[in-house]
Amino acid sequence: MVWENIKLAFKDMMASKMRTLLSLLGIVIGVASVIAILTLGQSATKSITATIVESGLEMVTIFPNRTDKASSEFTEDFGDRLMANVKNIKTVLPVNSSSAVVRYGQESSSITVNGVLSTYAEVLDYHAAEGAFFELTDNITSRQVVALGSEVAKTLFPAGNAVGQYISLFRTQAKSYLVVAVMDAKDASFNLSFNNSVFIPYNTYTQRFTKPTAVGSYVARVSEGADPLLVSDAITEYLDSSVGSSAYRLFSPASLADMASQITGTLSSFLAAIAAISLVVGGIGIMNIMLVSVAERTREIGVRKAMGAAPLTIMGQFITEAIVLTITGGLIGIGLGTLLSWLVADILGWSLYISYTSYLLAAGFSTLVGVFFGWYPAMKASKLDPIEALNYE
Amino acid sequence: MADNVISLYDVRRYFVMGDFIVKALNGVTVSIERGEFTAIMGPSGSGKSTMMNLIGCLDTPTGGIVQIDGEGTVGMSEAELAFIRNQKVGFVFQQFNLLGKINALENVMTPLLYAGIGVRERKEKAIAALERVGLGDRMKHRPNELSGGQKQRVAIARALVNNPSILLADEPTGALDSNTGRQIMELFEELNSEGRTVVLVTHDHDVAMHCRRQIRVRDGRLEE
Repeated sequence: MVWENIKLAFKDMMASKMRTLLSLLGIVIGVASVIAILTLGQSATKSITATIVESGLEMVTIFPNRTDKASSEFTEDFGDRLMANVKNIKTVLPVNSSSAVVRYGQESSSITVNGVLSTYAEVLDYHAAEGAFFELTDNITSRQVVALGSEVAKTLFPAGNAVGQYISLFRTQAKSYLVVAVMDAKDASFNLSFNNSVFIPYNTYTQRFTKPTAVGSYVARVSEGADPLLVSDAITEYLDSSVGSSAYRLFSPASLADMASQITGTLSSFLAAIAAISLVVGGIGIMNIMLVSVAERTREIGVRKAMGAAPLTIMGQFITEAIVLTITGGLIGIGLGTLLSWLVADILGWSLYISYTSYLLAAGFSTLVGVFFGWYPAMKASKLDPIEALNYE
Repeated sequence: MADNVISLYDVRRYFVMGDFIVKALNGVTVSIERGEFTAIMGPSGSGKSTMMNLIGCLDTPTGGIVQIDGEGTVGMSEAELAFIRNQKVGFVFQQFNLLGKINALENVMTPLLYAGIGVRERKEKAIAALERVGLGDRMKHRPNELSGGQKQRVAIARALVNNPSILLADEPTGALDSNTGRQIMELFEELNSEGRTVVLVTHDHDVAMHCRRQIRVRDGRLEE
């Protein structure tokens, strides 16, 4: 019976294609917008998270503010203290930065000079494209060596072959540095820029550049397998109790990623809820067309009743028709929504993340709409008086 | 005792029309035996349609008793009446009333669907019924591809297919030319001679003359 009803519903739909299509429009638009919003929301979250992950989820960067309390805490042995007090930290690297001008031959460029330990590159998964990052001995002996960020290398050495050349770094006076490495390109992350920076040994920096009263920043790497969110919370807790929350700023890609996904999640649920309203409007369209259908087919209903169709049978036929209508609309909507998401994601350069839950949601919701809004017309059909229905002109 | 397929005892059917009560049937008592070929005659407004509706279980009486093949219809629910219609009554209408979007075979299969019969058996029975009315070669045609006479044959096949106790025809030749109408009447006669109970509602004297028994209705009463 159910199968016959479905076949019948399709026959009726096909009999008036244009009308069917128009009456489905509400459902189609509703489902398409729900699908597009959920899919794009998820894709946006994924690409934001991906960008953040690329910059290193396992990194927590601490920037001291210039306060008295900060300068007593944020010394060179802060890293050891932090690791003693907070679990699951693999290393803490001090970083000092300042701006400077770099020059080679006729080419010059203003850049950021970072004084870092020799383990910096390895800890941040920052790799040399040519040559090799400086070593521990370079730091201990305060050698004047430099690793160039990819952009800096491109500006100074358009023809390549930077490694082995000497460049000048200007701060208060010009000094000549041996290029030991050109680094890979790496996306900038929170206040750490890579491509337009050069890296010199920490001790070289403290001797040749301004002797800092406090370390510029610290990069802490979370131990493998530990939850970066928990670790960054623990660091916050430790620092709040030792120097107070005004003495530092903390950047944790993990917590930002978490926040970003929460914001996009809330936003897309909110938008999807609004789009769902159009599903309800679409449902009213379905009810309207079903009422028209019942009125038009009054005589048919009478004939079916004369042949022995019980009220429930008639009701089943029309409910099935409403559900078939809405599911058809839902499927078209899913297709359209997916296409739309694909287009938008393509234009914005996001990687498309198809949300199968939203498919299920849309299909389920449109069935529900079919049952809900098909109910009244179907009941009306089932309650028709067979004699009146048979004599209906 | 006679084998009555239809028994009406003091049947009344009143309709409330505003402030008036229309007594469409006002105390009708009549029996029709199995295998009879009966015409119910009368001018329009006489109550013959009301009588047909009661016999066809489309309606229940205000008072009195209606029994179809031994089952009293008084107090039956819509669903129970539908079951009786499906099992015991085969309707043939003046305007054929075929379902337009499905073909002849599917039309004839429909009552069997409501009887809960499986698709293979439905098909077999429907094919047999269509062959019986001489339309074995028109099964895949839709109603709008058939002539009036052919449509009425499909309708008769549909009425026959569930092997009902009564074949109930309402002006079956009313929409046909006289030649085709005669062929349809001959088909009814054949079906009757095979033992089927045929009840024909008509105002046409010539049509009624084909039937072996005539029941005349006037002003809600019988004048046999």
